[in-house]
Amino acid sequence: MSLYASAVKRPIMTTLCFVAVAILGLFSLSTLPIDLYPDVETNTIMVMTTYQGASAQDIEQNVTRPLENALNAVNDLKHITSKSRENISLITLEFEYGKDIDVLTNDVRDKLDMVNSALPDNSETPIIFKFSSDMVPIVMLSVQADESMPGLYKILDDGVVNPLARISGVGSVSISGAPKREIHVYVDPHRLEAYNLSIETISQIIAAENRNIPGGSFDIGSDTYSLRVQGEFTSADQMKKIVVGSRDGRNIYLSDVARVDDSLEERAQETFNDGRRGAMIVIQKQSGANSVEISDQVLKMLPSLQRRLPSDVKLDIIVDTSDNIRNTIDSLVETVLYALLFVIIVVFAFLGRWRATLIITITIPISLIASFIYLALTGNSLNIVSLSALSISIGMVVDDAIVVLENVTTHIERGADPKQAAINGTNEVAVSVVASTLTLIAVFFPLTLVTGMTGVLFRQLGWMVTIMMIISTVCALSLTPMLCSQLLRKDNKHGKIYTLLFSPVNRGLDAFDNGYGRLLGKVVSHKTVTVLVCIGIFIGSLWLVRRVGTEFFPTADDGRLRVNLELPIGTRVEIAKETTARLAKEWRDKYPEIKVLNYTTGQASSDNVFGSLSDNGSHIVSMNVRLSDPGDRERKITEIAAMMRKDLEHYPEFSKYQVNVGGMGGMGGQSTIDYEIYGYDFAETDSVAQRLVRVLRGIKGAADVRVSRSDYQPEYQVDFDREKLAMYGLNLQTAATYLRNRINGALSSQFREDGEEYDIKVMYAPEHRTSLEDIENILLYSPQGNSVRVKDVGKVVERFTPPTIERKDRERIITVSTVADGVPMSRIVDESQKAIDNMDIPVGINIQLAGSYEDQQDSFRDLLTLALLIIILVYIVMAAQFESYTYPGIIMTSLLFAFSGVFIMLYITGHNLNVMSLIGAIMLIGIVVKNGIVLIDYISLNRERGMSIRRAVIDGGRSRLRPVVMTTLTTILGMVPMAVGTGQGSEMWRPMGVAVIGGLTFSTILTLLFVPTLYCIFAYVGVKNQRRKLRKAKAKAATAK
Amino acid sequence: MKSILITFDQAYYERIITVLDKLNCRGFTAWKEVQGRGTHTGEPHYGSHAWPSMASAIITIVDDTRVAPLLSTLRSMDEATPKLGLRAFVWPIEQSI
Repeated sequence: MSLYASAVKRPIMTTLCFVAVAILGLFSLSTLPIDLYPDVETNTIMVMTTYQGASAQDIEQNVTRPLENALNAVNDLKHITSKSRENISLITLEFEYGKDIDVLTNDVRDKLDMVNSALPDNSETPIIFKFSSDMVPIVMLSVQADESMPGLYKILDDGVVNPLARISGVGSVSISGAPKREIHVYVDPHRLEAYNLSIETISQIIAAENRNIPGGSFDIGSDTYSLRVQGEFTSADQMKKIVVGSRDGRNIYLSDVARVDDSLEERAQETFNDGRRGAMIVIQKQSGANSVEISDQVLKMLPSLQRRLPSDVKLDIIVDTSDNIRNTIDSLVETVLYALLFVIIVVFAFLGRWRATLIITITIPISLIASFIYLALTGNSLNIVSLSALSISIGMVVDDAIVVLENVTTHIERGADPKQAAINGTNEVAVSVVASTLTLIAVFFPLTLVTGMTGVLFRQLGWMVTIMMIISTVCALSLTPMLCSQLLRKDNKHGKIYTLLFSPVNRGLDAFDNGYGRLLGKVVSHKTVTVLVCIGIFIGSLWLVRRVGTEFFPTADDGRLRVNLELPIGTRVEIAKETTARLAKEWRDKYPEIKVLNYTTGQASSDNVFGSLSDNGSHIVSMNVRLSDPGDRERKITEIAAMMRKDLEHYPEFSKYQVNVGGMGGMGGQSTIDYEIYGYDFAETDSVAQRLVRVLRGIKGAADVRVSRSDYQPEYQVDFDREKLAMYGLNLQTAATYLRNRINGALSSQFREDGEEYDIKVMYAPEHRTSLEDIENILLYSPQGNSVRVKDVGKVVERFTPPTIERKDRERIITVSTVADGVPMSRIVDESQKAIDNMDIPVGINIQLAGSYEDQQDSFRDLLTLALLIIILVYIVMAAQFESYTYPGIIMTSLLFAFSGVFIMLYITGHNLNVMSLIGAIMLIGIVVKNGIVLIDYISLNRERGMSIRRAVIDGGRSRLRPVVMTTLTTILGMVPMAVGTGQGSEMWRPMGVAVIGGLTFSTILTLLFVPTLYCIFAYVGVKNQRRKLRKAKAKAATAK
Repeated sequence: MKSILITFDQAYYERIITVLDKLNCRGFTAWKEVQGRGTHTGEPHYGSHAWPSMASAIITIVDDTRVAPLLSTLRSMDEATPKLGLRAFVWPIEQSI
């Protein structure tokens, strides 16, 4: 027995089967995590290696290069980039999308083990991080404290950081702005000299005094006691009384030569939240972890963490990325619900019967809910792509049910009883329902085969729509006939309200049918004119292709700005603080949209992972700005960013600035275009970069032009004369250590309190290390105890070095980057490419485009290939269905108009062609072709029934107008909420909605006229050929006689 | 004994079996899917793309007395839903085993 017959005969089983699916689906829905995108994040692994005391160039030569060479052999590696700066080498490995991060980490670890022996002896073991420093922190917490400020670091480290770091998926938790306690012994060099003491001696004495030493155990009578000397300092003040030497029989106490300062580390990052100093806790996630889940857990933990903290320490949220994700998903869910409502209204308006409307619309939730099972089984999330898939499908899943219902209704109207009508009616259309689903699957299934980043995006869309289409077809062939047999009645009596409401609607629809019939008659009579006009319109729209700009992803307004400011290198942190405070105040007054403004400046300490991995220094300020929700403000985020960039022009103090809009990496942020300049020679690449910067600054819309290589750092170097050193029995290392101990400080011992250890550092007092003379006058001691000043054995000279050496794919690189502000990315690329072609570039240097532009090119290429593949597949399905080569060809001409419609609509609404609008365009292939199939199918049916070509076309067109308009309207109205949505994140899907609406409207109107005309032309040619053949055969027969 | 050939749109099938039961016409032979078209107005029932509907046929051999009530029931059925199409033809049976 066929599916529909058994469904009709066993209504309870059928109903319960679908109820089971719905329950499973709803259960899956409740377990689905929320995210912004499917897992599209680049898999990034960072390898950090420290080698104390090495310059950027040394690091590059001795650490970065050997590591790069080894790591280059890791599988699935896309790019390997590195930064070598003083003391530290940072290698970032970027992998192909969709690979398992744990497997990759193991591969990386293996390779590191292999190369470990080749690294310099003093370098530390490379550390692997499973995240990238470019990744935006998912949660930032601000910390306000009053009296706990001095001990804040410890309080936060114990009470907040450690518990948070245990949450699974968290990559790192870093504290900035809470300096660590440190005990400084500030020495006066003049007194030191007078007493003939050195920093080293003092440091050793402190270390020797600060000891607890067990003395073994001894017996007294019947008991055993242990002996111990407890010498460790219990307070910093005790240190003052240490005897550091003696002179003329009198003790010299530490307080005679130095002052003991129990305070905080000298160079630390400072953080300001809304103008007040405080600390910041930055939480980053591992690659591939779910932001919303992590942030949920963090937020859940906060109250209990807060309770454990001293009462004056207040935790607050500065940034919570998941907020934006949640809002975006909520507004998309709203969009989907609107789409559902619109579709129901359209179905009701066309069918005019509530029972029929119920039968049709019940397929929507069932198909959609069933797709959640797929999402849950494959471990996917509810995100923009999966929800867009729902939105797209709402209009399409009802089509099959409508076809079945219409045919069953015809049977019932002819007099069959509902049960028989349901079985026979479904039987008649089953094949064509399956065929039309196959066409759509031919469009969406190939999406699941795309690789790379677009693949990650589309795979989900492809599977979701394919599954929903299959479910909807199964529904249409089982549930719909069952419901028809149960709900539909033979005699449809309409109430008064119905007559009142629907007679004008019906009259309107009839008039529409007749009008179209007449128009079709005219069009078919003027075939040449019609074809020429249509082709004209298509060619005209091609002109628009160049007018519509391209970009990678639309810029999403997530209400977040990241501002990076740089003062001239080496500027003191006080100046940075003062200028930034001024700027922050101006912005707060000028932009009432700013909700939170927080900035950090200063050198990050080495255990602040987030701070030390991103650019930091006394002259660098990084600022986070959170704006109010997009719905609550007039100005768009891009406008505010543009105004901020203008404001920054009035601050000559900032030598470089960058205003980043939103952005989870490449998507959602403003499109960046990176020009990568590869070349070994610093001077040559610098000059090319500078020329490129000039070119870009001249292009309108290219904002935030930036060179990645930071300015050369001025530094003082001491050039020791080795011969003179040798005369005093010194070598370079001892001499250098003397310098380091005096300026950076000698780590003498650890002060212990409450189980925590704090460094005791001995160094020159700050007032004695402020001039070149102070350096030159430093005394070096030979092993024999002779002293000599630095100026006698060497020279202090000022030099410039590049602070960071960047490499990509094992070549030195400078990146010049710019942001497309208000103009399409393609325009900037075109203009700059012209200038680059004219540039005189030295041999061995080449410029390559990267950034979102590279991603865009890759994705567009993938998508176009995909479109071609889909068109071929759809053609095959149709040709098989019609058993003809011409019909599918005729139907496919409507694709041309869909293409025109997309571009016309994008042009009118001012959107760019981006990945989202391309997705829309690809989906159009299936939807548009479906209209053509319905039309041609019925026309050819009419001809089989014996009508003339002209009558078959006009009659067929007229009677298929309603189904075509109805399915088109359900799809268009399903997309309208997407196209006009103003909710958070709507910028992302608006282009897709616009593209589908434009393409579908335009192509449906033209298809309704052009396809019948083309059919006529081909049918006439066919008939003529047949007649000619007949005539020939006759003539042959006549001659044979 | 008369044989009655009933040809009809397949939607009638179950109703006709019920009618036969009610009138105590026990024996019949049915062809569930047959093709055909009416002489004057009947729409073709080909099961094809152009004419997707199908017809069925039943032949039943009944006593002469049952012919008239059967035919009248069938006629009223046909008149109620003329679009479906229902025809019955009666032959005498000469011999049987």
